[in-house]
Amino acid sequence: MSRFALTALALVCVVSLAGCPSSASNSNSTSTEAKSGQPTFAFVTNCVADFWTVAEKGVEKAKQDLGVNAVVVMPNGDAVDQKNKVEDLIARGVDGIAISPKDPTNQGDMLKAISENALFITHDSDAPNSPRLCYIGMDNYQAGRLCGELIKEAKPDGAQICLFIGNIDQDNSKKRRQGLIDELLDRPADPVRFDPAVGVIKNDKYTILDTRTDNHDSAKAKELVQDAMSKYPEMDLVVGLFEYNPPILLDAVKGANRLKEITVVAFDENAQVLQGIKDGEVFGTVVQNPYDYGYKSIELLNEIYKGNKSAIPESGMIDIPARKITKGNVDEFWTDLKAKIGK
Amino acid sequence: MSTSNKKILGILALFVVIVIVTAMSSNNFFRPYNIENLIKRISPYTVISIGAALVIITGGIDLSIGSVIALSGTILPYLLVNSGWSVAPAIGATLGVSALIGLMHGLLITKLRLQPFIVTLFGLLFYRGIARWLTNDQSTGFGNQFDGMRDIVTKSVSIPGFSFISIPNVLFLAVIIAVLAWVFLNKTIFGRYLLAIGRNEQAARFSGIHTDRYVIMTYILCSFLAGLGGILFALETNSVQPSGFGNFYELYAIAAAVLGGCSLRGGEGTILGTVIGAGVLQLLRNSINLLGIPSSLEYAVVGGVILIGAIADELFNRIATMRRVKHK
Repeated sequence: MSRFALTALALVCVVSLAGCPSSASNSNSTSTEAKSGQPTFAFVTNCVADFWTVAEKGVEKAKQDLGVNAVVVMPNGDAVDQKNKVEDLIARGVDGIAISPKDPTNQGDMLKAISENALFITHDSDAPNSPRLCYIGMDNYQAGRLCGELIKEAKPDGAQICLFIGNIDQDNSKKRRQGLIDELLDRPADPVRFDPAVGVIKNDKYTILDTRTDNHDSAKAKELVQDAMSKYPEMDLVVGLFEYNPPILLDAVKGANRLKEITVVAFDENAQVLQGIKDGEVFGTVVQNPYDYGYKSIELLNEIYKGNKSAIPESGMIDIPARKITKGNVDEFWTDLKAKIGK
Repeated sequence: MSTSNKKILGILALFVVIVIVTAMSSNNFFRPYNIENLIKRISPYTVISIGAALVIITGGIDLSIGSVIALSGTILPYLLVNSGWSVAPAIGATLGVSALIGLMHGLLITKLRLQPFIVTLFGLLFYRGIARWLTNDQSTGFGNQFDGMRDIVTKSVSIPGFSFISIPNVLFLAVIIAVLAWVFLNKTIFGRYLLAIGRNEQAARFSGIHTDRYVIMTYILCSFLAGLGGILFALETNSVQPSGFGNFYELYAIAAAVLGGCSLRGGEGTILGTVIGAGVLQLLRNSINLLGIPSSLEYAVVGGVILIGAIADELFNRIATMRRVKHK
């Protein structure tokens, strides 16, 4: 049975190695050692991204401040992977789960299962029709409108615009993009309106030439920007709507030596973008507050766990509003961010 | 004991070791809730892995499995929800499209003599693109409708006398497919043909086997099973994001087949080994989550186990060969 002995030995090595805390420097999980007698909460994201690393710092801080156990779980695949990871958290017996559902309309069963087995709140992307106790996050539609306002400030006389985004099949990305379009076209808010990605959208001032999706592939995202610059010579403003998009836009526009002609407007607080705003290469960005998503999620779950139901606002939402960051306030914002993430 | 039986024993040992390690470290592993989840996850992977194994046994490869899963997972809700089809024709059409995809692969490989890698690489990109285009890149699913149909896959049946655990329905489907595939491969002449083609296609052709016909058949079966897998995943999750749904699943299917003893050179492989191989991969992912291993390490651990499995297999083969030489 040499095969048995070999495989057994090898597997034990792998499992024990992987479980070793010293190997977990790039950890997505902030707790493998449970503090006995304390509740355990889980913070589940919708993908792996730097944005969530900032949220993780918030979770860690809350964990220290409140003396509870907390894990951050980042699914690296599709809705199937998110579901599997949630089921495993339920199997582990966690006391509360804060989740950013990938597809709230169709994940009803999974969300119901969470609510039946643990305290259940949503963050970042809401599931209003689920039995969640509260939503912590911003209104993506309003944040999209803020981004539209930035464009209006940058180009008050009108612009030829291309939008770049990871995908538009997620609730938050849909709303964010729609808010931006509605603001530029001076439309009133309408939660069900959806302009398809294909085709030009315009009024007398602003033209949205195209929405390009890269499926979270940075290399492809860069190609899309470069191709858009070739295809639309008249394009004079680009917007990156997911965290990783704007640095790529900036890089591509700089590479083509067209920074003077093409204005870059961003979303989220990537360090390159903040530096770009300081240097005058990026007009501005709309920032969320992932750190607070992490901190407040754990804080609220702990309050509910202790029986303090009044911690949940009547509206069922704890608003962590988005903000516009431009040259005037970038230094203040960045200093605060660095202090929070300990850099 | 034959080589293939030893391989099955090896992969089974790996499975048992992971179960023991996980159960020792986590009290939650053997909870009925977790076991049911595991069975629900392993079953659809078993279905797609069997398809991959059949193709690999004939010396081919199918890289398009994940994209066929995305396409079938997209077509079914599209037909049911958007186009208002009833359940049976919608499922029939979805499986029919999947089988047609396999037929096309088979014809391109056998009649045009294109390499399987290229043909199915085309498929990997093409079907994903079609799925995304069809849905306008929007998530799709069954919403709150078609619960009856979803129940067939998502619900479990309880066993009289064993009230603490129930068996997910989808397991029965996986078992039926595995048994049919096992009978087909081991108890029919067609199965022997597949192994013969994988060993040496020319020799098989000169012995009077219509090799093209059987190669085409395996690609049809593989895509059909991938399409069925796509339906199962879609019914279970009820959320299909065409840009990501089924991404990399072909690699899980191929890895399950190879862990289970299939040789990528063709001519070798068993259904039982493949089933256990699929089980090992899903079990590992479950263990990683239960043991609190950082999810960023998930791929590293799964990759490591695949490599260790391959090395152990190779070393074992060498030792066995050396022993045989000594005995002679």
